[in-house]
Amino acid sequence: MADGAPASPGGGSHESGGDQSPRSSNVREQDRFLPIANISRIMKKALPSNGKIAKDAKETVQECVSEFISFVTSEYANIRIPVCVCMYISGYVEMEGDTKGSAKGGEGSGRKDAVQSGPNAQLEFMSCLTVPTNSLIVMQLLHQSSFSQGINYGNSQGKWRKLDGKMDEANNAVAVVPVAER
Amino acid sequence: MRQAGTYSGISGRNNGPHSLPLARIKRIMKGSSDEVKMISGDAPIVFSKACELFIEEITKRSWAVTVQGKRRTLHKEDVASAVVATDVFDFLVNVVDSDHHRSSSGNSDKSDPAVILPETRVL
Repeated sequence: MADGAPASPGGGSHESGGDQSPRSSNVREQDRFLPIANISRIMKKALPSNGKIAKDAKETVQECVSEFISFVTSEYANIRIPVCVCMYISGYVEMEGDTKGSAKGGEGSGRKDAVQSGPNAQLEFMSCLTVPTNSLIVMQLLHQSSFSQGINYGNSQGKWRKLDGKMDEANNAVAVVPVAER
Repeated sequence: MRQAGTYSGISGRNNGPHSLPLARIKRIMKGSSDEVKMISGDAPIVFSKACELFIEEITKRSWAVTVQGKRRTLHKEDVASAVVATDVFDFLVNVVDSDHHRSSSGNSDKSDPAVILPETRVL
C-alpha cells in the first residue's frame, strides 16, 4: 500500500542519505536510522486517508525512532542482569518449584538459592542471560504478558507461547526490577 | 487470559516479514552504547513492534497538532509540538530541538522544507 502512495519515497533509506547528520557523520546513515519507506508506511497507517506527510516530518520521526531504540536500549542495559534475573527467577521458581524460601530474598544471596531450587531453574537462568533486560521493559511498553515467554523460550524464535497462570506473577516480578535497581 | 497474538501481531503472520528490518534495529541497538554487547534474537522483534506502536503514537499526536492548525499535511513542526506537549516523549526533546536548530541555522544543501511547502500548495 505504501509503495503505491504518492507521498511514499520508494527508495528506502537512500532518500535520507547523508545530507543532514546532526551527530557524527562517520557513522553511515543506514546504521543510524530505520528505512524511511517503512516508517512512512507505518505513519500513513496512523493517519486518515486524506492526511499527507511532509518529508521533513518523516525524517524527524525517523530520527525519533532511532532515538527511541537507543534510549530504551542504553537506559535499561544498565540494569544489572543478575539482580534482574534473580528477582525474576525467585518469583518464577516460587511458582514453578513451589519453593517459598528463595522467593523472598531477591538480593544477591537469594540468587543462588533461586537458581538451584527449581528443576529447570538453571536452564532458565542461562537463557535469561541471553535476553537483554531492555526487552523486558519493552514488553511492558507493549503491555504484553509474553515476558515470561521471552525468558523461557528466549532462544526459540518467534514462538510466543502463553504460560497459563504464570503471567501476572511474572509481570509482577519484572515490575520490581527497575524500581529496585534505581 | 492474555495472549500475545491477539492484539500484538507479534505471534501471528508477522513472524516472517516484519514491518521494520530487524538487522537495522539490532545495529541501532548496538550503536546506542558500548555496554550493549549481546542482543538476544527476540529483542529486535519486540523492538520492531514497539517502534511500530511508537511511530503510530507519535504520528497520531502530531496529526492532532496538524488538525488543530487546520492543515492537512504533517510537518516537522507538528512532530516537534507533539513531542514537547507529551511527557513520555521528553527524551526526544533534544532530537526535535537540534532538528529545529539544524534547519534554522541553515543547512547548505537543505533549506527549511516548511518554507518550501506552504499549506496553500498542499491544500
